[in-house]
Amino acid sequence: MEDNKFGHDQSNYERPNLPYRCGRASLWQTPCNHGPEVDGTCGGTQECTPFLKNDRWECRREKRFGGPCEDGPGSGGECSIQRPPCAPRSTLRIIRGRLVLLAVSIVLALIGTSLVLDPKVGGMVSISDAGPLSKSHAKFTEKEGCATCHIAYGQGPVEWIKAVFSNSDLSSRCVNCHSFGGPSFKAHNANMSPDRKVGDTQCVMCHREHNGPGMSVRALFSDQCNSCHKNKFTSLEHGHPEFSKKYPYFNRNSIKFDHGSHLKKHFENPKVSDKAPGSCIGCHMITLEDREVRPSSYEIVCAACHDSQIKKKELILLRLPELVQNRIDRDSLVQACNFPEGNVKEEEEFLSVSTEQPALVSAFLLNIPEDDPEIYDQPIQDLVLAMAEESSVPFAELIDSQTETPMSENLLMGLNPEVLKRAACSWGLNREYESPAEVRFGGWYTDMLEIRYKPSGHADPVVKSWLEFALAVSLNQKEEDKAARAIAMRDQILSAKDGVGGCIKCHAVSEVKNSKVGSHLAVAWKYESKSDSPYVLYKHENHIEILGTKGACSNCHILNKEVDYMASFKEYDPVNWVSNFEFISKKTCMQCHSESQIDLECQKCHLYHFKPSFKKDMLVVKAESVSTTP
Amino acid sequence: MKIQQGFSLVRIWVYVFFGTLLFLVTWIWTYQIDSTLGISAFANGWILFGILVFLSLFSARKRLPFLPLASSSRWFLLHVVCGFLALFLFWLHIGGMWSKGFYGQVITILFYITSISGVVGLFIEKVYPRQLTRSGVEVIYERIPMEIAEIREEVESLILKCTEETGSSTLAEHYLETLRRYFQRPRFFINNIFGSHLPQHWVRQQCMILERFLNEKEREYLDKVYALAEKKRKIDFHYTLQTLLKTWLLVHIPLAGAVMAMVIWHLILIMVFFV
Repeated sequence: MEDNKFGHDQSNYERPNLPYRCGRASLWQTPCNHGPEVDGTCGGTQECTPFLKNDRWECRREKRFGGPCEDGPGSGGECSIQRPPCAPRSTLRIIRGRLVLLAVSIVLALIGTSLVLDPKVGGMVSISDAGPLSKSHAKFTEKEGCATCHIAYGQGPVEWIKAVFSNSDLSSRCVNCHSFGGPSFKAHNANMSPDRKVGDTQCVMCHREHNGPGMSVRALFSDQCNSCHKNKFTSLEHGHPEFSKKYPYFNRNSIKFDHGSHLKKHFENPKVSDKAPGSCIGCHMITLEDREVRPSSYEIVCAACHDSQIKKKELILLRLPELVQNRIDRDSLVQACNFPEGNVKEEEEFLSVSTEQPALVSAFLLNIPEDDPEIYDQPIQDLVLAMAEESSVPFAELIDSQTETPMSENLLMGLNPEVLKRAACSWGLNREYESPAEVRFGGWYTDMLEIRYKPSGHADPVVKSWLEFALAVSLNQKEEDKAARAIAMRDQILSAKDGVGGCIKCHAVSEVKNSKVGSHLAVAWKYESKSDSPYVLYKHENHIEILGTKGACSNCHILNKEVDYMASFKEYDPVNWVSNFEFISKKTCMQCHSESQIDLECQKCHLYHFKPSFKKDMLVVKAESVSTTP
Repeated sequence: MKIQQGFSLVRIWVYVFFGTLLFLVTWIWTYQIDSTLGISAFANGWILFGILVFLSLFSARKRLPFLPLASSSRWFLLHVVCGFLALFLFWLHIGGMWSKGFYGQVITILFYITSISGVVGLFIEKVYPRQLTRSGVEVIYERIPMEIAEIREEVESLILKCTEETGSSTLAEHYLETLRRYFQRPRFFINNIFGSHLPQHWVRQQCMILERFLNEKEREYLDKVYALAEKKRKIDFHYTLQTLLKTWLLVHIPLAGAVMAMVIWHLILIMVFFV
């Protein structure tokens, strides 16, 4: 190639920044010298533009294009070298600019279309779609769509501009559906004392949406916990404080079950060993349980050994005691009992048919000493006469006078007035009452000198009412003697050995403190779940799945043979107690939760929120959606 | 005057160092914000937006060559380093390599294609100029049609002259049947992209196959035609490589424009619905 080919007088100056290039060149022909005009028309239809000088047209072809031509311009000043026009083409620069415009226009068109179209129609191509919601939120936002959380959604441009300059406050929308056991925007939903300088929280600090149905909105990591907690540590293994010394047995069990005596003594006894469970899961339900492994029902766990014992322990409502002299008005008795005239003879010398003391229940109700016949003689006989006249009415009145709310209906449920009256008539005549038949099933009955109640079985409502009555009256007596009698009655009824039904052998009695009505004693009739650590998350099921059902429990729950478990129940303090099991320490968990084994993140064992729940409206929506699901 | 070929190695490493440093600082900052329950996407998002704006300015800079805003080669180097930085920041911003949601996915696809076209462009910009220099020919891209037309005219005049002088039409017939198409316009575009020797073999083959049918005089003309065919082959090579050097931007810049449009839309949505 020639060295001077690109010299200023040898070649044309190329200007690729111009919008058009020669159409001939685009067809691989020799391009013209002039090139296209700026407006895109061909500029090369003639070789040059002749110049009029001294009335003579001169050729103006430049030297680099061969200099003036031989023929020169025509007489009219037209160039002698004429060509048909070409069709100039756009340069790359212009094409590039058009492509940029096209690309941006497509994007703008997409945005415009998605804004104009109804979200339900344009949902699939919505250019505002930030991503699919989590499975839990997707269902609840079906009705209102994005506006459920985003206030500006579906509003006009003015609202959008306003939204840019105002706080969208997404968290305030969260609490339209979610509720907590404490303030929503305080750390851990806890009411902390003002001296603890803890700032307000926002849901979006931890929760992120639009990550798809498969992703949890609760994916957090330990460092986020450390951002607030003063005691910073990286994992359970490194820096986590030792568990509380009582962990996890903070409160006394509601059901007294001495694992030590049962496992080591009773279950090994050949007489009952065939009824003993094979392992822990014989009594504890592990299916679908999370933090707490509840025991199965009484019928499954206890009835085989203890059911017969309940029925043996009866309540004595009234016992005809040893009387000093007959103080019952004969005429009244004859009239009340409908004895035939003359059939009832007056005894010459009164000799009491009974040599017993009054029952503690009736001693309390009548407020009489059970060991002084001189004092109780009259009240007892008055009661007997009243029974002969009105059957159970005097008892009901006595009972109802002891408490603020009448309890006689529950306490005397099933008491046969006819039988009661007959017994009273016999006792009025200083005779024993002979029961027509032996009592085989539960219920009230009268035999010889006593009115007794035989429990029908576990959870007998009359027995439960008598225990509650005994507890209620034992604390509200002002008179010293009566208080002593109430406590004597209570102790007898609550006695694990002799009390009616022997309920207290298994059911704990605890003192319940109430600032309004004062403290009182209450029987734990049902198994009570432990909710004293609301921020601890533990799933027994997951652990048992890994460790297996046989022997898995004893990995963590180690029986403490040294402690006297039952001694804790002699008092009524539910906190001051010792568990059957050794306390669980951090080391126990670290058998598996160590760096080389299982996850150690805070969220593995701890919940952030306090009693997270849904608001009522949401539960209705949920219920409706469940009912409409085919 | 010393003509600088490519980038200074020291400058490259300095820019790479600062790019890496910026990324690491952003990464640590992101982690720290996440740890303190903040929204890190705001921080790294704004940095990413700044980088994208800077990348876009390169195009504007090329339109304003008269302004004293550092040399184009320095801008190009910064553009390359910031381009890679933007890619890493993009992954940091979206917390992975793929977005959820339609508009996020549109941005992701556009961003990836723009990035890939940029990497391909970088390869083209760094490799092809050396190959063009090695070809031994220099030609301005816009003049290639004229060069080809000139060669074609020269070849055709040689053929006519040969026919007139020798009275033989062998060379002319061969030209009309085979070589005429070759001289019509640039050929072997795909082969030239991959540096294939096929065009060279083809030209030699087409000339050699005729040699034994020609007399001494005709062979002289054939040698001249062969020399012109070789020259045209080199121009074809220039045409292919220069076309790629210019047209990769037809993909990169429009897509970059679309990315910026989507990014601005993303910013609007965030400001309206989230902040």
